[in-house]
Amino acid sequence: MERLRDKVRKLLAEGKAGGYIGYKMVEGHPLPHFFTKDRLSEVDEAIVPPGDARYPLDKLLLQVAARYPKETFAIQVRGCDERGLIELYKWGQLDPDQVVLVGVACPQDQADYCECSGPFPSVIDYGEKCRPVPQSQRVTRVEGLAEADALKEWLGHFGRCVKCYGCRDVCPMCFCKECSLEHPDLMSTGMVPPDTIFQLVRAIHMAGRCIDCGLCEEACPADIPLRVLYKKANALVKDLFDYETGSPTAVSPWKVLGEESTLQTKPM
Amino acid sequence: MADSNFEPRILAFLCNWCTYAGADLAGVSRLQYPPHIRVIRVMCSGSVSPHHVLRAFQKGADGVLIGGCHIGDCHYLKGNYMTIKRMRFLQDLMKFVGMEEGRLHLDWISAAEGPKFAQTVRDFTAKIQKMGPSPLKQAARAA
Repeated sequence: MERLRDKVRKLLAEGKAGGYIGYKMVEGHPLPHFFTKDRLSEVDEAIVPPGDARYPLDKLLLQVAARYPKETFAIQVRGCDERGLIELYKWGQLDPDQVVLVGVACPQDQADYCECSGPFPSVIDYGEKCRPVPQSQRVTRVEGLAEADALKEWLGHFGRCVKCYGCRDVCPMCFCKECSLEHPDLMSTGMVPPDTIFQLVRAIHMAGRCIDCGLCEEACPADIPLRVLYKKANALVKDLFDYETGSPTAVSPWKVLGEESTLQTKPM
Repeated sequence: MADSNFEPRILAFLCNWCTYAGADLAGVSRLQYPPHIRVIRVMCSGSVSPHHVLRAFQKGADGVLIGGCHIGDCHYLKGNYMTIKRMRFLQDLMKFVGMEEGRLHLDWISAAEGPKFAQTVRDFTAKIQKMGPSPLKQAARAA
């Protein structure tokens, strides 16, 4: 922890970062906190949250960066947060030159719980690299179901939705100002559960964007296994377009039209 | 589904430059095809969002047909590159949640392919007839 604090202290003191988005204990709860040079002593209390306490720090950075567009900020990132930042760079929401990473590697039990394929960032200031989980068992199970059974299961999940928009609101990748899920011509209004396609539309938007942080699933009051859906959407993008979400170099298939199209239509 | 009274509802998104003209050719050539298809003309098949397709299923479509120009013939040069990416992805996602991917069909039909258009509609209607009503519709009725 001291190594992380020293790095943050140095960044702030030397003016390399105008602020640091991390965590602090507030009355026994680990909460996101914005550390600045003016209150440098607070950095002594900067922590890596214990257990699986996590917040969408990327999303907070988006707001702060929009307010202070010229400033550089440091941010605590896990593997998923860094993938999120890379995607946000690609979609023109943040400037990579104005973000400094303070990396945290996840412990093995967290990686196993998330079935995370990249549980550590490129810079590590706290924790040790652990073993990634290449294949999600939860996805594999649903893939093995017959179509009718899969539909029954998903309809059961979707039917519990209370349309709180929690999944969208917590999502660090949901940066649109207008949301098609709120468009009255595209999504029925005034009823719960919402249209069956509600989660599917979100899954489409998450394909090639979902960084698999899992906050949506944790925020969901109806325990809808959203993560399974988005993990599969990402796996499909990988299969079809060979695009790894969060890859620093690859170009998103939804951004380029390409020089040629090699995909074939499916036969009837 | 053995329901012989089942009349499928099929929504077709046809691109203005190729498939819609192909449908027009089928019409003026007096080619017969089943009347279950409702056509929405779009300027490019690349402007059809997966959201529109899902919305169609939500609203009770039993099948969705997308028609665009052949690859390389797009009026906007590369619009249909996007169409195939989106629709191939959507078909696979539909399969994953058990929505029967075969209910969504994408075909390239040029303005000169009137007979191909008629044949595609005939084949697709027959297929949907055989598959029966959309499972989403059945679920909505049961709820």
